[in-house]
Amino acid sequence: MKLSRDGWAGLVVLAASLVLSGLTLELKANPLVPIGPGFYPRIVLGVTALLAALLVVTDWYAAKKAGPKVPADYAAVVVQFAVFGIYVAALPWLGFRIATFAYVAVTNALMDPPRGARQWTRAATIALASALATYFVFEHYLSVLLPRGRWTDF
Amino acid sequence: MYELLAAGLVNIAQVKYLLPLFFGTLAGVVGGALPGVTITMTIIVVLPFTFGLDPLQGLAAMTGVYVGGSAGGLVTAVLLGIPGTPAAIATVFDGHPMAKKGEPGRAIWLGVWASFFGGLLGGVFLIGATAPLAAIALQFGPWEFFSLFILAVSMVAGLTEASLLKGLIAGGLGLIVTVLGSDPVMGQERLTLGIDFVKGGIDFLPVLIGVFAFAQIMGEIERSGGKAQLAGSLERGVKLTVSHAKVIWEILSRPFQLLWFAFVGVLIGVLPAIGASAASMMAYDQAKKISRRPEKFGSGIPEGIIASESSNNANVGGSLVTIMAFGIPGDSVTAVMLGALTIHGIQSGPLFISQNPQLAYGIFAAYLLAHPIMVLILALGARWMLRIVTLPKAALFPVVLVLCVIGAYALNNTMANVYVLLVFGVLGYLMVKFGFPLAPFILGVILGDQIEINLVRSIMTDSNPWLFITRPISGGLLLASVLSVLFALWQHRRMQKKTAAADGDADF
Repeated sequence: MKLSRDGWAGLVVLAASLVLSGLTLELKANPLVPIGPGFYPRIVLGVTALLAALLVVTDWYAAKKAGPKVPADYAAVVVQFAVFGIYVAALPWLGFRIATFAYVAVTNALMDPPRGARQWTRAATIALASALATYFVFEHYLSVLLPRGRWTDF
Repeated sequence: MYELLAAGLVNIAQVKYLLPLFFGTLAGVVGGALPGVTITMTIIVVLPFTFGLDPLQGLAAMTGVYVGGSAGGLVTAVLLGIPGTPAAIATVFDGHPMAKKGEPGRAIWLGVWASFFGGLLGGVFLIGATAPLAAIALQFGPWEFFSLFILAVSMVAGLTEASLLKGLIAGGLGLIVTVLGSDPVMGQERLTLGIDFVKGGIDFLPVLIGVFAFAQIMGEIERSGGKAQLAGSLERGVKLTVSHAKVIWEILSRPFQLLWFAFVGVLIGVLPAIGASAASMMAYDQAKKISRRPEKFGSGIPEGIIASESSNNANVGGSLVTIMAFGIPGDSVTAVMLGALTIHGIQSGPLFISQNPQLAYGIFAAYLLAHPIMVLILALGARWMLRIVTLPKAALFPVVLVLCVIGAYALNNTMANVYVLLVFGVLGYLMVKFGFPLAPFILGVILGDQIEINLVRSIMTDSNPWLFITRPISGGLLLASVLSVLFALWQHRRMQKKTAAADGDADF
């Protein structure tokens, strides 16, 4: 018998629940609420750990059947998450306008690579328009102050 | 009640409310028409635009999105055979064949008017049932609220299509998110994992935005790399003119069917997290069962379109009831609306309607007015919808994600919520990949604090744990949660047996 991805997911949830349960032991009771801040988390973590253990056990004994393979571009997903992560990290340093322009341009180019000057211009225009339009609408009409860049002050 | 509703209608008819309602409905119709963009994603995109508005303006816009989105999916479903939203899947079955038979206008307008009437019937239920249900909920003590929230989470976990165990684990994970950071009763720090932005607890909106937006967008990227466009299959010269009186008569000449389909939609809407797609499928199934010509279903008959569209719009009314009477979001769209209420410092739940009658009846009025606005938008723009669906996703998706970032950031102008968005975006995508349903997770995140507060309150009031069972309403609700889990278990077993039998047949 071998674990399938359900079993592995169950193991991860089980481990996380147990680690967090361990951390609740350090919580001190409050004199105003004698049952303390760890009471409810212990119940939730305990029940989740139990369910996760059950998932591991059922998966261990379940007959494994290979499902139909669906073609999926996981590399594109990883790249998109990475680019978004960089965007989030860059926001406080470059500021909303520059970071958003770069993010929209790069994502657009990665998802649908431009061929020729016309498509590059279109990608850049979309990026510029999105960065400026969102900035303008939110800062000027909706009073939402968007992040300024520590490096750029923009 | 009628005076308050009339006052609400007069109030919402002011330009300052009518404009957000109109633009919300327009955004909903467009978002609903775009395949791959759900109503949830549309409402997430609209959310940051409501931050600078007053509560009723914001909620009017969101109600418009909900109503418009529920109808918008039918345009592409009928003309292209591609449902704009999952709720329009059943509309494809008869809408697309009818369009292919040379009656695209009839098919579209049967859907639009069925949405209109179904939505209004849902509205009657919404307006009539919210106050009495809230009055019942006002009798609840912490034991009953605790049990009610447990029932909501267990029902959602059980009713999802994934395995029951995974549904329950997803609900547990949602509850775990709420125990991180701070204790909601005393505000004491706990389980911060040494991360600064976790110290004050985790806001549920960035979690919700991250989980839903990324799960959907990354799922699309995984399938198509974002290059998918529908332009090739469009028929630009399609004629949508039709005799409206004739179409309306086609619908209203079946009053009992219309009422029944709307009832199915409302019922599914009241039950948390089942969703409009299930409502329209169930109504379609019902339509087939009660029809004298079931063999004609799928060939382009009006009953199929009427069933699907009237029930998915009536579903909106049902979903709004649970959030307004109990503070429990019926689906992900109302979960975002709950977030919008929280941002404006308004507590949803049984006291909502008595403490904020103007706002509550304003929402009812917005809901009613959104329907004629939706009809107007589709009358003027159905043809344009076909052009909008050619928008390349490579341009659309990054802009949607930028709006998600703004939505998370603007909650309290800190980057912390953007980091939460990213973390839960990854988690949401992984959950979908590993087959864990998102609905129970989100409901766990939303109700977690309330479950804890009511549990602690009840124990502090009386330490006897049996009270949860011996108090009749609380006991009844807990029994209902056990029964819902057992029912789900039985249903999953039955499905497994059916699948096994089908596999067995296939072997021979």
